[in-house]
Amino acid sequence: MPAASALGATAGIGLRAPHVALVRRDRPAVGWLEVHSENYFVDGGPALAALEAIRADYPVSLHGVGLSLGSADALDAEHLAKLKRLAARVEPALISEHLCWGRIDGRHMNDLLPLPFTGEALRLCCDRIDAAQAVLGRALLIENISAYMRFDSDAMPEWEFLSSVAERTSCLLLVDVNNIYVNAVNHGFDPHDYLAAIPSEAVAEIHLAGFEDNGACLIDTHGARVAPGVWSLYRAAIARFGPKPTLIEWDTDLPALEVLLDEAATAQAILERSDALVA
Amino acid sequence: MRSLPELQRDFVAAALFGDRAALHALGVVSGRLDAAARIAIYRNNVLGNYRKALGATYPVVRRLVGTPSFNTLVDAFVRAYPSRHGDVNRYGGELSRFLAAYAPARELAYLPDVARLEWAIDQANIAADAAPLDLEALARVPDEARGELRFGLHPSAALVASRHPIFRIWQVNQPEPHGDEAVDLTADGDRLLVLRSTQGTTIERLGRGEHALLAALGCGANLSDAADIAAAAEPAFDLAHHLRHHVAAQTIVSFRVRAPANREI
Repeated sequence: MPAASALGATAGIGLRAPHVALVRRDRPAVGWLEVHSENYFVDGGPALAALEAIRADYPVSLHGVGLSLGSADALDAEHLAKLKRLAARVEPALISEHLCWGRIDGRHMNDLLPLPFTGEALRLCCDRIDAAQAVLGRALLIENISAYMRFDSDAMPEWEFLSSVAERTSCLLLVDVNNIYVNAVNHGFDPHDYLAAIPSEAVAEIHLAGFEDNGACLIDTHGARVAPGVWSLYRAAIARFGPKPTLIEWDTDLPALEVLLDEAATAQAILERSDALVA
Repeated sequence: MRSLPELQRDFVAAALFGDRAALHALGVVSGRLDAAARIAIYRNNVLGNYRKALGATYPVVRRLVGTPSFNTLVDAFVRAYPSRHGDVNRYGGELSRFLAAYAPARELAYLPDVARLEWAIDQANIAADAAPLDLEALARVPDEARGELRFGLHPSAALVASRHPIFRIWQVNQPEPHGDEAVDLTADGDRLLVLRSTQGTTIERLGRGEHALLAALGCGANLSDAADIAAAAEPAFDLAHHLRHHVAAQTIVSFRVRAPANREI
């Protein structure tokens, strides 16, 4: 597999449609940009042209939400072919997907749904990741999700399931620190146990985002600033994994671009402090 | 223990269709929230995503029925017409067909046609790019072969015909402020061309003959047959004038002189 990343351990932001024109005009100082792969599964038109223009100025990462690697349905060859075609066009630094499922019996739910942490699900995910990587000809980054449900059939904790995927396949990991935090609160575990179980050498990217506390549980809305507890956990993650490319994700109630850049600057400062410590 | 396919089937049945037996069979760990509350989070997320996605594709339909009714109809649509792609942007093309049979919207007879127009606009925005027609190459086609010319339309071009005045309905339901909002629902219907150009996506009203011409060309008819079809629809149809216009507007972007080999049999 080719080298994991042409990205330095810098902070980037998730680029969403309302910010595209501004980013093209102002070219803000940010390390890299990440887009949702599926939004560019198009034959042509202004959105794809804008992405290609932006690609000339920034490293880009393709983040998928619809491959459904954990679905009992067969892997969607058409979806994968579109991703491969987009990757050939954009030459992304990284390509990532989620450790989840979204489709059964041909019906797609277009959401990141929770897997049972069973041997059966683990084998299926590993097979699908191997197959997808073979088609793409490069390593995928696999991301942990926020989940609001655990199953009686779970045979292992989430961190064991995730690290087993990394051990059994040649995939890399996209560690979403906010998702670990949200799951730790919702399911009652120590998030540091989770970090301790992740193989550092497999970590190629980190995600940060904001959640919403609805009183009964935390919901991963990607609609707020990164919470203080998540920043603390991020510092612990960087201390353990070393500095890694870090992304600020925001999808719901998208604020002004400056807010995202401000969050990215906070992450960048943490990365640089960590670099200084290592040096 | 439920197998993975069984668990995923149960999840969909419980989340989308409120199937209690399926929820029970899932074997959800309760903790601070019970199984019903947990599946409700997913129901809200999944339906919320579709309401948002379809609201972006169908802003005029949403405005015509109001957001609460729109959300209700999206929920019913999602249950009846499963999404077939991991790319949610491809979902929703069947909304017009769904609306045609949706009893609560029966009084809005024009609604399915407005939905067809909005889908055509949505698809035009993501259609392939195309270079303008090669006029020099076209000029080299010998006169005797001209009737055999088969013109190709821009990949974004879509024809939407309705017996209702859907263009006016669409216009007065745009978010920008506009003057007169009255719509005469008994007015003549529309034959519309949706097309993406370098200036963006446009909607053009077509005459009877023009619509017939483009529809025939879009189906692969040769120029001679398409001209006959247009003249039948509109006796005084000026073929040369309309061809020039649609070449300049880049509705027509390609040509070939023979049918493809597999269609000559």
